[in-house]
Amino acid sequence: MVGILRLWRSSPTIPVGDLWRVVGVPLLTILAFLFAWSRVSASVETSLGQIPGPLAVWQQAGNLWVEHQAERARAAAFYERQTQRNLRQLAENPDAPVAVLAYTGKPTYLDQIATSLMTVFVGFLLASLVSIPLGILCGLSKTINAGINPFIQVFRPVSPLAWLPIVTMIVSATYVSADPMFPKSFINSAVTVSLCSLWPTLINTALGVSSIDRDLMNVAKVLRLKWTTTLIKVVVPASLPLIFTGLRLSLGVGWMVLIAAEMLAQNPGLGKFVWDEFQNGSSDSLGRIMVAVFTIGIIGFLLDRIMLALHQLVDFGSRR
Amino acid sequence: MSAYIDAHCISKSFAVRRDTRHVLGDVSLQVERGAFVSVLGAMGSGKSTLLSILAGLTRPDTGRVTIDGVPVTGVRRDAAFVFQNYSLLPWFTALENVRLAVEAALPELSSDEQRAQAQRTLEQVGLGGALDRRPWQLSGGMRQRVAIARAFATKPQILFLDEPFGALDALTRETLQQELARLCSAVDRPVTTVMITNSVEEALLLSNAIVPILAGPPATLGTPIPIALPRPRTVAGLAHDEQATHVRAHVVATLTAALGRARRFGVRHAADTVPLTTAVAQERP
Amino acid sequence: MHTRLKVFTFAGALSLAAAACGGAASSADPATPRTGTGTSTGQLAIEKPQLKLGFIKLTDMVPLAIAYEKGFFEDEGLFVTLEPQANWKVLLDRVIDGELDGAHMLAGQPIAATIGFGTKADVITAFSMDLNGNATTVSNDVWALMQPHLAKDGDGRPVHPIKADALRPVVAKFKAEGKPFNMGMVFPVSTHNYELRYWLAAGGIHPGFYSPTDVNGQIGADVLISVTPPPQMPATLEAGTISGYSVGEPWNQQAIFRGIGVPVITDYELWKNNPEKVFGVTNAWAEKYPNTHLALVKALIRAGMWLDANEDANRKEAAEIISRPQYVGADLAVIANSMTGTFEYAKGDIRRLPDFNVFFRYFATYPYYSDAVWYLTQMRRWGQIPEQKPDDWYHTAAKQVYRPEIYLQAATLLIDEGLAQRSDFPFDTDGYRQPTRDFIDGMEYDGRRPNAYLHKFAIGLKGGQTANTNTTE
Repeated sequence: MVGILRLWRSSPTIPVGDLWRVVGVPLLTILAFLFAWSRVSASVETSLGQIPGPLAVWQQAGNLWVEHQAERARAAAFYERQTQRNLRQLAENPDAPVAVLAYTGKPTYLDQIATSLMTVFVGFLLASLVSIPLGILCGLSKTINAGINPFIQVFRPVSPLAWLPIVTMIVSATYVSADPMFPKSFINSAVTVSLCSLWPTLINTALGVSSIDRDLMNVAKVLRLKWTTTLIKVVVPASLPLIFTGLRLSLGVGWMVLIAAEMLAQNPGLGKFVWDEFQNGSSDSLGRIMVAVFTIGIIGFLLDRIMLALHQLVDFGSRR
Repeated sequence: MSAYIDAHCISKSFAVRRDTRHVLGDVSLQVERGAFVSVLGAMGSGKSTLLSILAGLTRPDTGRVTIDGVPVTGVRRDAAFVFQNYSLLPWFTALENVRLAVEAALPELSSDEQRAQAQRTLEQVGLGGALDRRPWQLSGGMRQRVAIARAFATKPQILFLDEPFGALDALTRETLQQELARLCSAVDRPVTTVMITNSVEEALLLSNAIVPILAGPPATLGTPIPIALPRPRTVAGLAHDEQATHVRAHVVATLTAALGRARRFGVRHAADTVPLTTAVAQERP
Repeated sequence: MHTRLKVFTFAGALSLAAAACGGAASSADPATPRTGTGTSTGQLAIEKPQLKLGFIKLTDMVPLAIAYEKGFFEDEGLFVTLEPQANWKVLLDRVIDGELDGAHMLAGQPIAATIGFGTKADVITAFSMDLNGNATTVSNDVWALMQPHLAKDGDGRPVHPIKADALRPVVAKFKAEGKPFNMGMVFPVSTHNYELRYWLAAGGIHPGFYSPTDVNGQIGADVLISVTPPPQMPATLEAGTISGYSVGEPWNQQAIFRGIGVPVITDYELWKNNPEKVFGVTNAWAEKYPNTHLALVKALIRAGMWLDANEDANRKEAAEIISRPQYVGADLAVIANSMTGTFEYAKGDIRRLPDFNVFFRYFATYPYYSDAVWYLTQMRRWGQIPEQKPDDWYHTAAKQVYRPEIYLQAATLLIDEGLAQRSDFPFDTDGYRQPTRDFIDGMEYDGRRPNAYLHKFAIGLKGGQTANTNTTE
C-alpha cells in the first residue's frame, strides 16, 4: 500500500492545456490505426482466410476469457467431486487413506500470463543478483573491467534461442531430483532470460560506478570513510540512477526474450500459447495470436512504466 | 620556529592529452599552528592543486609536505576540507551528511552522541530548522553552511577551504564570511586554516597572512604578506582602513605583475579573462 | 490549472495486481500435488496418480484426448495433464528427461532411441495408438505437371493409388532445369519419412541415404528430403521452398482446404494398415511405476475401443473434441473428413476411406514385434543403421522396445472388469503378424526374415553395403 502511495505521489502532474497532447492525440492516432487496420484486414486474403480485424481480435479476447471461466468451473466441479468421493470413502472406512489432489486441467490464458510474469521476474531477479555486484566491481576497478569486458562484448549479442539448447542440457544434467519444486521448463526459461537480460544492467552499473562525480569520491576521501561505508553510502546511491536505467532496459529485454524462450522450452506461458496457436492453424488462430501480441505489448509497457516510476524515486540528480 | 604545516619544493604536472601541464613549480609554504593563511590568485593558477597536495588528496611529483613533523601520506584524521561546490551527498539530509563525517572522524562517540554533535554544529551555523532537508531543498548558501558545519563537526585541528564561497552571490558570500570568521574564533583551540580564494577582500577579512600565487605555468608563490589587523574585522571597517588599503594595492600589484610577465612570454592563462574582485568592497558605503 | 493524471502508474499497477491475483491465486499448479498418496480405484494401487503426458498437434493424438474427456483416465485413478509440445525432438527429450511421464510418439522414436540413433535412451511402448493416418501432399504446380502421367478412370478422375512413377518425370524435369526437388517430413525417424521414401523408391526415385557422418539423408538423392515442422509445412509449400510433404492430419486436408496443394497418396494405400503412432514411456519409468503404466494402457485401450465402436459412430464427436484449441485446434471441417472416413484428394475429388484412421480394429493397439522390425529394416535400408545386422539383432531390438506382455496384462484386467471381451485381443500371437503383400509395390513383408526382405528392393542398402559403397544410379 505504501509503495502504491509513493508511486502515486511520484507520478507527474500535467497542466490541463497539455491534456490534449498527452491524452487526446494518442487516442486519435489509436482510433485512426484501428480504422486503417480494419480496412486493410478486410482486403487481404491469406490462405488461412482473412487477416482478423480489430473486431475479430476483440471477439477472440472475449473467447479466451470465456474459456478461462469455463475451465475454472470445471476445476470447481472436480474439487466438488473429489470432496464427495473422499467423504464417501471416509464414511465407509474412517481410516481409509484419502487423497487430496490438484486439478489437472489445461492452463487458461490468465494462468499463462501469470506463468510468464513469474518466469520473467525470477529471471530478472537472478540477472540482477549477478549483474549488479559484478557491475560495481567492474566500475570500481579498471583491471577487473578490462578482464570482464571481452566476455560482455561476446556474449551480449547472443540470442536466447542459441542459449536454450545449452541451458536445457546443463539443467538436465544438474537439476536432478525425484520431486522437483520447479518444473525444468520453468528453470530453462528463467535461466535463459537471465543470460540475455543481465548485460544492460551490468554495463550500466559499471558505467554508473565508474562515472561517479569526482567530488563525491573526494568527499569520501576527505571524510576518511571506510571502504565499505564508501561503497554503501556513496558509490551505490550515486550510481543508482544508472543502475535503474540498466534494470529497466534489462526487464524490457527479458520480457522479449521470455516469449521466444518459452516457445521452445515449453514453459506454459504466453510464448507457448502463441506457438500452440500457430500449430493449430485454425481460422481462429491468427486472431488469438494477435490477442497474445497485444497482451505481450501491453504487459511490456506496464512493466516499463513501473520500472520508470521506481527509477524516478531514486533519481536524486534530476532534482538538484 | 619550524612551521606546523611545512611544504617544501612541491612540483606537480598533469598529462593532458598529449601535452604535459606543469601546474606547480618548486613551491614552498610554511604555515604556523593556529594561523589562517589565504592563498590568493586568479582562477586556474594551481591553487586547488596546491591545497589538494597539502591536504593529502594528491601526491606531489617532487618535494614533500609535513604537518607537525609527520609526512603527509593521505588525509589526516584531524583535518577537514570544504569544497567549492558543496559536495554534499544528495541522498542524505543535512543532518545525515554531517553525521556521516562525525561517525567517521569520532568513532569513539556513541551513535546518539554523534547525532547530537552533528545537530549542535548545524545549529551553530543557523540551520537548526533545516536538519531534515535534503540538499536540493536548500539554497546555495545553506548548502555551503552545511558543508562548513560538516567540517567543524569533526572538531578538526586543520581546516582546508577551497574557494568556499566562490559559487555564491555577493550578499550570501559576505554573510558566510562573517559566519566562518566567527566559527574560527569561537573554537577553543587553535585551528590551522589554509584557504584558497580569488577575493582580496575575503582574504583580508579572514586571514593572518596572504600568500599570492603567481601565474605560471608553472605557478609559484610570492612572498607572504602578513595582515596584522585586529579581530573581529568587518567589511565596512576594512573599506576605510589604511593598512588594508595598502595591502590590497600591494597584492593586486604583485599579481598583476606576475600576470604581465606571463603574457610577455606569450603564455596563455585562464587568469587573463577574470578580473580580481576588489571593486565590490570599495563601493560599499 | 493542473489536473493530475495517474493513468499510467496507478491504473497500470492496479490492473497488473488484479490480473495476477485473478489468474495465479485461484489456479492450483498441477505439477505439485498437494497431500496424500494415490487412491486406488479398481484393483491397481497407483504409484503416481498425477501425470503429465505430451502430444503433438496431429489428429491421431485423439486416444489421449478421449481418455481424458470421457473420464477413462479418471476411472483408473489417474489425473492427467495433456500438454502439446513444440516439436518431436522436444517431446522426446522431455520424456527422457522426466518432465513428461509419457507421450504420443512416432513409432520410430522408441526404436531409434533404444538403438542409439539420435539421443540414446531406453524408451519402450506397450500400446500402439493407431494404424494409418498419414498422407503425402504435393504443390499445385507439381500436381499440374503430374497430370499427363496419371491414369484416369471413366469419370476423368485419377486412378488410385497414385504411384510415384507419375512423379518421376516431374523430378527429371526439375533436374534438367537445374532445380532441386525438395520434400518435407516431420522427423528423421518418423513413419512419414520411411513411407515417403518407400513410395518414392517404389516409383524408381532415389530418396537419398544416411551415413554415420552425414545425417541429412540426401546422399545420392533424386529428391531432397528434409525435416519441416508440421505447422510450417503449408507455408513452406506455398512459398515454393518444398514441392511436397509427408505428414499426418490435419495438414494434408489443410492444404486442399486452403488451396495450396493436393494430397496424392495416403499411407493406407501404401501399406494397408501400417503401424503409426505409439504411446511411449522410458523403461526406467515403466519399471518404477508398473501399476500406473498398466492403468494408462487400460484407459487408452478403452479410448481406442470407443473410437472404433459401432462402425465409427463416435468419430464425429471425437473430431469435435480435438478441434478444441488445447488439442489439435484446427477447424472442425478440416478434421472431420479424415476422422469420419472420407478424404479429399484434388479439389472436389472426395473418396471414402473408412480405414484412414484405425484405432482398435484389426488388433491395431497390440504392439507387434513385426511392426518394430519393419521400421528397423527401413532404418537399415536408408543407412540410419550403418552396418549389416543379423536377423537376431532385429528381433532382440524389437523385443527390447515393444512390450506386448504389458499390453496383454492390461487387456486381461479390462476383461475381468467386464469392459472388454477376450476376442478383442490377440492372445495367441507370438508377436509377429502374418507375412503380407499389402504394399503398393506388392512386395511381401515377413517380419521374421528382415534381411531377406531388404534384399528385395532395387533402391536401398542391402547386405553389407554402406551409403558410399552402394552403387545404385
